[in-house]
Amino acid sequence: MAEASYKILVVDDEVDLEPLMLQRMRRDIRSGRYSFVFAHNGIEALEKLNEDDSIDMVLSDINMPQMDGLTLLEQIPTVDPNIKSVIVSAYGDMKNIRTAMNRGAFDFVTKPLDFADLRITIERTLAHLTEWRAALASRDQLVSLQKELDVANKMQKSILPTSFPRRDDYEVFAHMEPARNVGGDFYDVINLENGRIGLCIADVSDKGVPAALFMMSSRTLLKGASIGCDNPGDVLREVNDLLRETNDTEMFVTLLYGIFDPASGDFTYANGGHNEPLLIRPDGSSSLLPRTGGIILGVMAGMEFAHNTVNVGPGDTLFLYTDGVSEAMNVTAEEFGMERLAAIFAETPPSDAEQTTMAVFKAVHTFAGETPQSDDITCLTLHRSESGS
Amino acid sequence: MMEVTSERRGSTVIINTAGRVDGSNASDFQDALEASIGAEDGAVILNLGELDYISSAGLRIILLSAKNLRQRDVGFSICSLSPSVHELFIISGFDQIIAIHSSPESALAAQES
Repeated sequence: MAEASYKILVVDDEVDLEPLMLQRMRRDIRSGRYSFVFAHNGIEALEKLNEDDSIDMVLSDINMPQMDGLTLLEQIPTVDPNIKSVIVSAYGDMKNIRTAMNRGAFDFVTKPLDFADLRITIERTLAHLTEWRAALASRDQLVSLQKELDVANKMQKSILPTSFPRRDDYEVFAHMEPARNVGGDFYDVINLENGRIGLCIADVSDKGVPAALFMMSSRTLLKGASIGCDNPGDVLREVNDLLRETNDTEMFVTLLYGIFDPASGDFTYANGGHNEPLLIRPDGSSSLLPRTGGIILGVMAGMEFAHNTVNVGPGDTLFLYTDGVSEAMNVTAEEFGMERLAAIFAETPPSDAEQTTMAVFKAVHTFAGETPQSDDITCLTLHRSESGS
Repeated sequence: MMEVTSERRGSTVIINTAGRVDGSNASDFQDALEASIGAEDGAVILNLGELDYISSAGLRIILLSAKNLRQRDVGFSICSLSPSVHELFIISGFDQIIAIHSSPESALAAQES
């Protein structure tokens, strides 16, 4: 079967970019996977979008004459709400990157362009676009709730990262298993400045397509707010206020967000009503991170979120999870609970993020037996190497 | 699995909820709450003393009720939470926006003050 082909609109006032892009992407152009259209400012871009409805995604610079990239981002949905945009910004221009994410940009790349990275970003965007279109197409022909839930599951899966940092000093792994009729968990791993990473785990209160859409906006708003912001409490406050602006269905999301600094091992986090993560020592003993007391996101605007810092020492492991783990039930309606969770780590002290994550899934499945899974199960593990560097 | 009853003390209605509220019966819970609250009621106290378990779907219904009543200027509080249910209200941060009392009596006293 022939691979799908995609048309990408590149918007940049630097005329040199056009030959460079065509040269660097020549293999994908020759194979028919990508074709490019170019515009040199926002107004020209809108004209191209209006006359060519086969454009799939937009790659846009921010600073341009006549109409800049941020204004263009606001205008694109009026032409086609299903076009995905990736923004190109100056390195470290966090203010504009955040604005772009808050205006619905799917992702961003920084200048000078790294074409290998750009290609990965384009592929990720197109993969998401494909899922999104499949979801929309299926939605048009919904005949039952089950079908709607399948769509929601697909949308949920399309936003979850599947590759994780695996380095000498630390590694991350995460996994989500959806329940049959509830879908609301998500996680994210966000690259920040100076080698730090943002970790997030979340659980949306409802199910179905509206919940999946709410999940998508939560994820995008978090990514936008997290860039260039060192205080997770401020990040949650911004996401919460933005979610409230558009939330008339009273959906909400529990969300824990923290920043890990591999240089020091510090993990600074704030919590929007989610279960506290576990910090596991090299000997397998574990304790819950201290409470910071924030409210669930999407409930009420203007709330403040306190933050706290713990040190993840060499050999320590941070374990983030949703209540699908602790509240998994067995045939006698008994809950899995925190003691069984702690026992997994006590028996085999974590030494590998992926193994630890999957050991928890295995234990929960063994415990639940034939009992149908009633909630999504999600775990995210960060393990810091013994050497710590 | 879930039982909702109500009683009146002056202009306040006390709604007792027992059993389990989760995704499977959250909309029944919502209907039962709405049916228990009259147009003339000046305050609502939700007694959760006999509640064994509530999921996030149930919390959402309580939140919806609290917001509706606030818009109508009707007082709303909850009381008699078991340790595990109280824990959930603390983790979710809902204790910051919904008044929690140890008993229906103290909730009533707070309404009157």
